[in-house]
Amino acid sequence: MEVKKILSSKSMKFLTLLLTSMLIASASAAVYYSLSMRSTITTATTSVWFEEGVDNATAGLSLSPAKTVATLTNLKAYANASYTYTDPVRVRNNGSVAYEIRLAPISLSGNDTEFVYVRFLLRNGTSESSPTLASLNYTCDGSNWTIPSATGWVSMPATVPDTEWAITVITKAKDNAASASVTIEIAVDVK
Amino acid sequence: MAPTILPEFFVLLGTDLFLLLSLLTCLLESKFPKTLPYIFQVAAVIGFGHLMISKEFLAIFGEYMRFWYCFFYLLVALINIVAINVHLATSQKMWILAKAWAGTITFPSIMISVFFVSNYGYVSSAEFPLLLLQVGLVISAVMIGVSAALFLNPDLLPKLRRRKEVNQWK
Repeated sequence: MEVKKILSSKSMKFLTLLLTSMLIASASAAVYYSLSMRSTITTATTSVWFEEGVDNATAGLSLSPAKTVATLTNLKAYANASYTYTDPVRVRNNGSVAYEIRLAPISLSGNDTEFVYVRFLLRNGTSESSPTLASLNYTCDGSNWTIPSATGWVSMPATVPDTEWAITVITKAKDNAASASVTIEIAVDVK
Repeated sequence: MAPTILPEFFVLLGTDLFLLLSLLTCLLESKFPKTLPYIFQVAAVIGFGHLMISKEFLAIFGEYMRFWYCFFYLLVALINIVAINVHLATSQKMWILAKAWAGTITFPSIMISVFFVSNYGYVSSAEFPLLLLQVGLVISAVMIGVSAALFLNPDLLPKLRRRKEVNQWK
């Protein structure tokens, strides 16, 4: 009887309601917080990717299944002679809008310094006469490599049917260069 | 970029308003039915369920739909606040309590809701038919002005009443 009286008292009711209120308020706030932290990510295909150029076989080009990674494994640098791979790999804009692209250095591994330079040129087209829009020039003074900074952004239009720009690679080794190899990784940034 | 509020914020606000109503009606239990505080608690729990459903179906419901069902819930909470205010003023004839309720609960709740809805509309580039924030600010400015005048000069209101009565007799 006494317990029932206590439970039915106003202060007890208020205390119960206060506790449940705090519980509901904090649980709701926690759910809202988790909601605001949530993001939905879906997979998508890119609009800009690599394509094989005319000189792809000479340069030893291999492309990843999504064509977002291009590997050139057969580039040669001749002693005291410049060698140009005009169109080993292309960048293709398959989208309906223009994109800004640039060349950016990622890494250079292998300390061989038998080279003079390795150049990557982004050409406005795929022919030898196409003007150069951006270039990365890796130079070696015989003891150290100089790594260039990223190029400026270039607008790549979405013309019909599709725009394709070649990435030309020019190499040169030192006079009387010994057997050597270097691995250069660059990125084609798209925005 | 400024962090945006989600439409579910209105549910959170509505839930808190229901909890506030629950506690206040418990404190004033002699003026209301005994079950009313519990009904408001249930309404708050419904708000919590509302948030859970929103969370689970976030990708399916569009933002437009989420805004409107969340806003509707907040609107129901505000309607309850106003209804209690009206109940105190008309059924209970408790004018002082009704005025205190209007000043401390109804008006601030509506103002806060108007502020957040306007802010949401501004950030989401949604256009509302009325300039809610501006209207709200004008009303609050007028109310603050009148309140300050009455606070600084308590004889002002009786003077105005007397003048009105004199005009009526003329």
